[in-house]
Amino acid sequence: MKYKPSLPEHNDNVSHDQPVREFVILFSAITVFLLIVFWATGLFVDYAVDYISPEMEAKIFSSFNGSKAGVVSPKDPKQAELQHMVDQLSECIHLRYPLTVHLIDTEQANAMAVPGGRIIVLNGLLNKVNSENGLSFVLAHELAHFIHRDHLRGMGRGIVITAMAALVTGSGSDFTQLFAPATNFNMAQYSQTRESMADKKALEILACFYGHVGGATEFFKAMTPNDKGGKNLLGHYFNSHPQALERINNLHRLVKEMNFDAKTVKPLNDVF
Amino acid sequence: MKQIIIFAVLLSLGYFFGRRAEKKHYQSIIEREEQMISLPTTSSKKVAHDKREIDHCQLVNGSMVVSVDYFKRILAKLRNFFGGNVQSYETLIDRARREAVLRMKESCPEADMVINLRLETSSITKGKKNQVGSVEVLAYGTAIYFL
Repeated sequence: MKYKPSLPEHNDNVSHDQPVREFVILFSAITVFLLIVFWATGLFVDYAVDYISPEMEAKIFSSFNGSKAGVVSPKDPKQAELQHMVDQLSECIHLRYPLTVHLIDTEQANAMAVPGGRIIVLNGLLNKVNSENGLSFVLAHELAHFIHRDHLRGMGRGIVITAMAALVTGSGSDFTQLFAPATNFNMAQYSQTRESMADKKALEILACFYGHVGGATEFFKAMTPNDKGGKNLLGHYFNSHPQALERINNLHRLVKEMNFDAKTVKPLNDVF
Repeated sequence: MKQIIIFAVLLSLGYFFGRRAEKKHYQSIIEREEQMISLPTTSSKKVAHDKREIDHCQLVNGSMVVSVDYFKRILAKLRNFFGGNVQSYETLIDRARREAVLRMKESCPEADMVINLRLETSSITKGKKNQVGSVEVLAYGTAIYFL
């Protein structure tokens, strides 16, 4: 036997598939799977939320204390006035929900509904609105979130999504980012609808209390200059809150549909 | 949004540069394998059926550490969900193996043959999270010099 050296014609140890194709197939399969799971668990959360009464909610979250940084004292006249406004608005729509307002001393302008019947108001908001009606609309919007139980729905979904992401990809890995669009899209689409619903309800509350809806768009108008507007088409779908300009248009449309009128607004209380 | 863009950029950088490096490396491997083809290398422990007398022998080795590009790493992770061939790592290990044997052969160009060839792999970043995995392939054998 003579040794005849030669190289093999084919390399059988390496598959000659297209990696990009494989990537696209695997990626879309997992994305579709995640979207279905999030949708299904979303339905489950909605179902569960109906069984949590406001009293039960308050009990569950009574030990749930966030950071105390910047929280003003309960005796602060601004906070007391905000609490008074919330109480009056709730009374008008016969809402029985134990709600407390917490004012936080910061430059940022925002308000949010937090589980446990808490409305957090960031002080910057008070500088953005010019009238009592404008401020009432923002508070009414948060009230509407409580009526629709959006704070619980949002938190339930958040927990499910975080748990899923940690389970599937391992928490804190760069890999999680790959599926961020799928999760964000799901969340953003959902909360955009909820925000619009809350805006509608807030108009009703405003009309109930003042008899008209003047000042409803004040806050969003003040926020518009910082908005990117319609420039970022892709980012738009990932924003949980519909962009300010769009919300103003949406509000105008609702006002027309519901036959509300806008009269002169009341000036802000002196404590602000 | 920003994170997604960074991710996409890393992914495509990994893909294009990884692909280019791989292509170049394979070209070089094939060329050098052809050059070294006249040096027989076997895994048998003894010099088979050769009447020539051995002058001396020598331990020779060659090794290569190879790491994976970003695109392949993500592709392999995606593959983890469903199972099956992790094709994205195949070329990597193939390259490392052949390069290690080539380096071993190139370390003894005057030898008549290499016997007792062994290949070993070891993972360098074993078990450490959030680190790019890399693998070392070590090839070693006994180079035989006839009189």
